[in-house]
Amino acid sequence: MADNHVSDESVQHSDENSVEDIKRRRFITGITAGFGAVGGAMAVTPFVMSMSPSERAKNAGAPVQYDYSKIQEGQMVKVEWRGKPVVLLKRTPEMMQGLKEIEGSLADVMSDQSIQPEYAKNEDRSDPAKPELLVMEGVCTHLGCSPVEKLAIGPDPQMGDDSQGGFFCPCHGSKFDLAGRVYKNVPATTNMPVPPFKFEGNVIVIGDDVGRA
Amino acid sequence: MKKLSTLLVSILASITLSSTAFAAGGGGVTLDEPYINMSDKASLQNGAKLFVNYCLSCHNAEYARYNRVAEDLEIPLYQLKQNLMFTTDKEGDLMKTTMPAEDAKDWFGVTPPDLTLVSRVRKPNWVYTYLRAFYRDDSSPSGWDNSLFEKVAMPHAMYELQGVQSLVERLPIDASGKIIDKDKVELDENHTLVGNAIFELSHPGEMTPAEFDKAMADLTGFLVYLAEPAIMKRKTIGVYSIAFLLILMGLCYLLKKEYWRDLH
Amino acid sequence: MAIHRHDNHKSANGFMKWMDDRMPVTKVWNEHLAEYMAPKNFNFWYYFGSLAILVLVIQLVTGIFLTMHYKPDAALAFASVEYIMRDVPYGWLIRYMHSTGASMFFVVVYMHMFRGIIYGSHREPRELVWLIGCVIFVALMAEAFMGYLLPWGNMSYWGAQVIISLFDVIPYFGPMLTEWIRGDFVISDATLNRFFAFHVILLPLILVALVFLHLVALHHVGSNNPDGIDIYEELDENGHPKDGIPFHPYYTVKDLVGVCGFLIIYLGIIFFFPDLGGIFLEKDNFATANPLQTPPDIVPLWYFTPFYSILRASTDTLLQFFAYSSVIIAVAAALLTKFEIKVKAGILVAGIVAALVFMNSSGKAWGVILMAAAIVCFFLLPWLDRSPVRSIRYRSWPFKVALAIFIVAFFILGYLGMNAPTPVKTLMAQVCTCIYFAFFVLMPWFTSIGKTKPLPTRLTMPAEH
Repeated sequence: MADNHVSDESVQHSDENSVEDIKRRRFITGITAGFGAVGGAMAVTPFVMSMSPSERAKNAGAPVQYDYSKIQEGQMVKVEWRGKPVVLLKRTPEMMQGLKEIEGSLADVMSDQSIQPEYAKNEDRSDPAKPELLVMEGVCTHLGCSPVEKLAIGPDPQMGDDSQGGFFCPCHGSKFDLAGRVYKNVPATTNMPVPPFKFEGNVIVIGDDVGRA
Repeated sequence: MKKLSTLLVSILASITLSSTAFAAGGGGVTLDEPYINMSDKASLQNGAKLFVNYCLSCHNAEYARYNRVAEDLEIPLYQLKQNLMFTTDKEGDLMKTTMPAEDAKDWFGVTPPDLTLVSRVRKPNWVYTYLRAFYRDDSSPSGWDNSLFEKVAMPHAMYELQGVQSLVERLPIDASGKIIDKDKVELDENHTLVGNAIFELSHPGEMTPAEFDKAMADLTGFLVYLAEPAIMKRKTIGVYSIAFLLILMGLCYLLKKEYWRDLH
Repeated sequence: MAIHRHDNHKSANGFMKWMDDRMPVTKVWNEHLAEYMAPKNFNFWYYFGSLAILVLVIQLVTGIFLTMHYKPDAALAFASVEYIMRDVPYGWLIRYMHSTGASMFFVVVYMHMFRGIIYGSHREPRELVWLIGCVIFVALMAEAFMGYLLPWGNMSYWGAQVIISLFDVIPYFGPMLTEWIRGDFVISDATLNRFFAFHVILLPLILVALVFLHLVALHHVGSNNPDGIDIYEELDENGHPKDGIPFHPYYTVKDLVGVCGFLIIYLGIIFFFPDLGGIFLEKDNFATANPLQTPPDIVPLWYFTPFYSILRASTDTLLQFFAYSSVIIAVAAALLTKFEIKVKAGILVAGIVAALVFMNSSGKAWGVILMAAAIVCFFLLPWLDRSPVRSIRYRSWPFKVALAIFIVAFFILGYLGMNAPTPVKTLMAQVCTCIYFAFFVLMPWFTSIGKTKPLPTRLTMPAEH
């Protein structure tokens, strides 16, 4: 604003200032503005941070524990974690076999486009140490509905005549297999996410995989 | 004009000073001052241990969370779970007592107050003096009384540590709570002075009076922390922000000088 | 539709030209900053105007962020404040900024008002600037009072209880009115909820609007200065005041220094003394509201204490004194002035009527009236002040003496209001209350006597120039 002076008795004409004067003025203005910008950024930080999850939210969203030894073969339970249904399904050998047979009709067989921890990025989408146990957020990747389980192998009005079991989303008709992998040609395009989990004896900890064996 | 400003500043200063003195004095009670150091983590951890063992069984600290205490006091999580968490197994939970409030009211006549903020309501010196001022009084329902808080409903929670003491006399004090003729007070190892009360130790506890005083200073320190967890951080942030602002002010002053060079 | 182009202000570039054709951006910038001519001799006292705007912005921003976590519910409010202090990341900092900001707002506003009084900024032609400022002061007091209930601490509760009960003294309607204000028979959830609505929406809107009007009026008449002389008469060949300088950049850069200085004090309190020894955050307010237990000393926060002292000082003794004084002042006015005989008779009758009213009414009612009157006095200042000059630099000695005594009395009242009353302190408060009102009542007299110094024709610059 150095050239914005009003011609006035109290204010010298700006062209009376030498080149050095203008340079010095620009330098001081620049460095002050720089410092001020840093200060402004520091002042904004606490306000931005205050909107992230509080200790209460973190505690409510803390990992949940479940004794998975209670689950029978072929049985499914739902556990709530961070307000989402987490599916725990102990798959039978027939179900595991069925997963292989339908690979041709799936959109993301190897889960390359989908969200899961590294240890669950495989065909079964489970921990190789316990391949039969599916741990998955039961949330459709299309618009967030909760798909209905269709565990029976055989004809099903929604899943089709040669269903190997799976999940069907009642909202917009997306279909998933028993590993949560999405079928081709349905609204959803990615597999249902797998949360971080770990085992502590008979207990599965959902939401935490720190110190995972 | 100069004179007026000077007058104003001096009036302002004297009022601030006198009112601070008023706020700190508490008016008419004698309080002892504990040595508290917020960077002495061992002392605060000891205070935390005393708190969960002796206070939390009846009192809540319902705004504080275990994991936050552990983090601020540098207590490892496994130690927290083993030594401090008796009421829950979830480390992010609030520090709540297991005693139902109605039962407590039946037993003591009053619901034990929440202790999260006690050191801000009562002030640390009061807490420190109160904790050491319980004495045996068979005429009271609980069998205990307190020379700072007369007819208190609470029994002495830490008599195992302190031992049992009886009240010998209360020394006369002036309006500001100072003991008159403090120089003339003489104590042997069986007598202690807490506030303006002299106690005689009739049954010694697990700790000597000096050890117990130190333990209560630790506990008071923990309560100061508990009332305002931000106290651990705010002074450090304060030093940096003010240092930054001083530099910025210097720069702004140069900038002002620079622009005002135009004027004559 | 043809765009009406304003040619009087050159737009810097294409974008600004596009904007200026549709909205007076450059015009407003120039009129209120780049070409707003401010007197060149502003001193220390002139920082507080821009600082008041800064604190207003701080309070608005921190308030918005506190609202994201606060619960206006009697069962949850206290815990939600502790939630902010502990569980919300940096919530403690935002809360301390807001609580300290409230006190600093009053520090800044009191300094700003004092500046106005010593340099005659309330005098013609700036009466409206002053009046709007007084309304801002009242709105600010309402804002602070309602905000103080929100933490739902025990002092919040009892402070609101005492202040709302003041309306009880209004004849006939009083009890109905207090119930209406509380929305209940006691201070309750309903009261908290409506105070929350007023505190976060209504009063901030009013405050921002009033500040805007304050500036509009100020920029219409131009700023006063420490010499209290009119700089808008001595113009140079361009029609600019010879002693004026553009507000921007000269006062913007100068105010930046003031902002830094203010922030150092403000953050110093926040980070090192957030309670300020119980003055900014009272210890009883760390206990949750308890309708069964009054705190031992109910005192308002420091910025209300001068007025609270006046309220408490109102006893029969004070009213008797007022009765005698009104007679004496009326007699003195009748004997010593040169009014017509009819006017003198009127003054005498008025004095006697006032005396009778004072003698026959209750101290409680008068406490409330006096407290309100103490604030109303500020509104009347432009018309009570009859000095031929504006600035204290050229005023006669009686004004300087009166102002010094008034300021001392104001501080003593403030100090007494923070303490529990004793007979001696009540007497002191009564003396200071008399001084307080005498300052305003006698102002037309003491501002018109004594010899003023001759005014300079141009501004006097501070020593550094």
